[in-house]
Amino acid sequence: MLAVLAAAVGYGGFLAWSATSEFEGRRWDIPAKVYAAPMELYVGRPLEPDDLVAELRRLGFRADRTLAAPGTFRVRGSTVELATRGFDYAGETEPPRRLTVTFADGRIARLADAAGGDLAIARLDPLLIGSLFPAHGEDRLIVAPDEVPPLLIGALKAVEDRRFDTHMGIDLRAVLRAAWVNLTSGEIRQGASTLTQQLVRSYFLSNERSWWRKLREAFMALALEARYDKDELLHAYINEIYLAQDGGRAVHGFGLASQFYFGKPLSELELSELALLVAQVRGPTFYDPRRHPDRALDRRNLVLEQMAAAGLITEEQRAEAAEAPLGIVAERDGRRSTHSAFLDLVRRQLANDYPADVLEREGLVVWSTLDPAVQAAAERALTEGLDALGDAGAGLEGAVIVTTPHSGEVRAVVGGRDPSFAGFNRALDARRQIGSLIKPVVYLAALESGKFSLASVVDDAPIDIELEDGRVWSPSNFDDQTHGPVTVVRALAESLNLASVRVGLEVGLEAVANTLGRLGLPRRPPLYPSLLLGSIELTPLEVAQIYNTLANGGFRVPLNAVRAVVDAQGEVLKRYPLEIEQAADADAVYTLNHALVQVMRRGTGRGAQALLPAGLTAAGKTGTSDGYRDSWFAGFTNGHLVVTWVGADDNRPTGLTGSTGAARIWARTLASLGGPGYSPPEIEDLPSRWIDYYTGVRTRERCPDAVLLPVPNDARPPRAFGCGDDASGFGARMRRWFRNDR
Amino acid sequence: MVSQRPLRLVTLTALAALAAGCASLAPESAPSPQPRGDAGAPGRAALPPPAPEAEQAPPGRAEPPPGRGGPAAPAASAQLLQQARTERAAGRYAAAASAVERALRLAPNDPELWLELGEIHLADGNRRQAEMMARKALTLAAGDGAVESRAQRLIRAAAASR
Repeated sequence: MLAVLAAAVGYGGFLAWSATSEFEGRRWDIPAKVYAAPMELYVGRPLEPDDLVAELRRLGFRADRTLAAPGTFRVRGSTVELATRGFDYAGETEPPRRLTVTFADGRIARLADAAGGDLAIARLDPLLIGSLFPAHGEDRLIVAPDEVPPLLIGALKAVEDRRFDTHMGIDLRAVLRAAWVNLTSGEIRQGASTLTQQLVRSYFLSNERSWWRKLREAFMALALEARYDKDELLHAYINEIYLAQDGGRAVHGFGLASQFYFGKPLSELELSELALLVAQVRGPTFYDPRRHPDRALDRRNLVLEQMAAAGLITEEQRAEAAEAPLGIVAERDGRRSTHSAFLDLVRRQLANDYPADVLEREGLVVWSTLDPAVQAAAERALTEGLDALGDAGAGLEGAVIVTTPHSGEVRAVVGGRDPSFAGFNRALDARRQIGSLIKPVVYLAALESGKFSLASVVDDAPIDIELEDGRVWSPSNFDDQTHGPVTVVRALAESLNLASVRVGLEVGLEAVANTLGRLGLPRRPPLYPSLLLGSIELTPLEVAQIYNTLANGGFRVPLNAVRAVVDAQGEVLKRYPLEIEQAADADAVYTLNHALVQVMRRGTGRGAQALLPAGLTAAGKTGTSDGYRDSWFAGFTNGHLVVTWVGADDNRPTGLTGSTGAARIWARTLASLGGPGYSPPEIEDLPSRWIDYYTGVRTRERCPDAVLLPVPNDARPPRAFGCGDDASGFGARMRRWFRNDR
Repeated sequence: MVSQRPLRLVTLTALAALAAGCASLAPESAPSPQPRGDAGAPGRAALPPPAPEAEQAPPGRAEPPPGRGGPAAPAASAQLLQQARTERAAGRYAAAASAVERALRLAPNDPELWLELGEIHLADGNRRQAEMMARKALTLAAGDGAVESRAQRLIRAAAASR
């Protein structure tokens, strides 16, 4: 008998210990939260009012003529006024304030605060894009007690636990009443769990309906009540309770549920929205407002009635809120499972510095480099671009990466046609032949060698190369034609294989591989001659690293998705500062980039150029692999590098070239990004000259086929006799001869 | 058809030699042809636009031309630069660098910002980055003597303290 009693006491002690240790431990089990880069507002920034409003909508701002609370805005003609939320950004504080943004000529013309004083710069709070939760696990966004609307607490008590303030963890009166109802109705219709009991149940994740479980639960609730005060328990409940399911992610707590359903902080919820969250407590699956909107609406309105009955709200407030729509954000509105490809990159970058359990449990805050507007543009470009290919695009996949060249910050990652699908991330993991994307590397090695300028003439003629194993490799041009003597600029612009192979062999495979390594490829490619035509397989991310170095004038910056990591207390743990390394001769890169502009104007990028806004200067290159299996495009302006890939997961031929596939998606992306074109400051020692595109001789601006190219002083190309306009002249005959492409 | 190819090359080479000879005899009428017709930055940006640059600043706006490296946001850039200098003076190099990096996002082609960042790195003992930032600034100097000499000073200082 004594032994039984001792065992009971021992078991009771164990239960109490379990409950309290869970309560203590749970406070820290929070996946790292990842935020996008905050939008910077500054005088002179190219921006339209609509762009700002779109960003505000993504951030869950609501239109409100009175601007009564943070997170509201109003539009008056070309002026947008807003009440910002304020936030701490890696040690810097951005205060909540009233801003007046005045637009003119496609830019921000003026920025003023509430007092009308001019501001030079301000930023919006960053978008929460996701969290680094375990593969199948709980996710939450902890809210502090002062962020919880008192009305939420009132509603929870009114609906779930009327005697919360006075009971000791269990509510005997409610239990008896429920037992009576269930007994008389012959089925279990009414529960009587207190908030404390619900909290215990959530900790131990058991939904079995047995008296034994109920008893354990009740005992643990009593133990928690004895140890902690009501406010602590209520606060734990608000951050703990299960409120929604998002694929493999269980959404816990009102803070995250508010973002998940409404895309804004808990403190900004309207009455009707608050009531919908409270309605979810009883059954997030059964009352899922996306799947069962009618049920959710009925339950919400019942919550509103109970709130009115408890005197929390007036009858007018209830009636008005009951008329409101559910108001949940669309699934594809940047909230549900999107950004998964970018988060993948964040996770991989952080994995170098933090173990997974730290990321998944310790409540870190990650300030990332994502630009939500750019991400949205890239996703749209890929989906619509593949759709626009019609039958040719059926079953094809793609990837897009956008970076900022000077900093290597990654602005957007799209890992597939359906950006909300968190599966195979092609942008990071699809390793594919790059085809002619290698050619700028070959020509950069050639320019660096000093043996070639853009005006040099090379022979685009058949070539047989004996390989080490005795076989003979005879590359051909894309169109199976040969073009004879051609300028280097033309060979690159029109992606002529034979000329490129000859140039590459002259500077040497070793030099080409060396250049590739300096530009940012971390492994050494095999030194086969086919390297010169891009037989190596790279991921879109690796291509982006290499082209980012070109776009950055020969300075390599490691591509980077994270600016800083902050701990749960707001202390900066780590910054990822901007660090650059000169990887290639600046003059050679500058020269190469001019040739990449000619790709867009005269070469294989012409079709893409035509899809860009008129006058936008861009530099880029197409790539097509053997048998039309991969379609690539990589290109940049001053502000953006965009890399696109299109192909089939099973590596079957697609029938698309770089120009007909990836280039169009590239152009769609870049066209919607805006910003200035590619315009590097001129290098003094490397003045640009008018060169005849076909012959490489110096010519005049007014001459046909004159292109302005930087050519070193010591490689001064010959001058043309006149222009060759005179059809019978010698120059004209020469030009016709050079243009004879057979 | 194939036989035509070597002939063309030979002729080209001869022609090139002849033309080069002529060119060296005849005085250059335009010794350093400046690029022309760039709406945004006459004589500065090295690329002539295929058409009027629609994306560049509308006329009448008191802004340095893009491509020259001048800040697109002079007021914001100046404010952040001031903030960086305050932080640097207080020895808070990480915060100073953050402020310059933020300014660079607005005006990546402004050589002054790269120099500032380089000088912060030098003060913080990161000589390698100090030198790299100076080299980056040099590629954006576009003939600005003040920028060039400040960059050269920074490169020397980075080398000297090694």
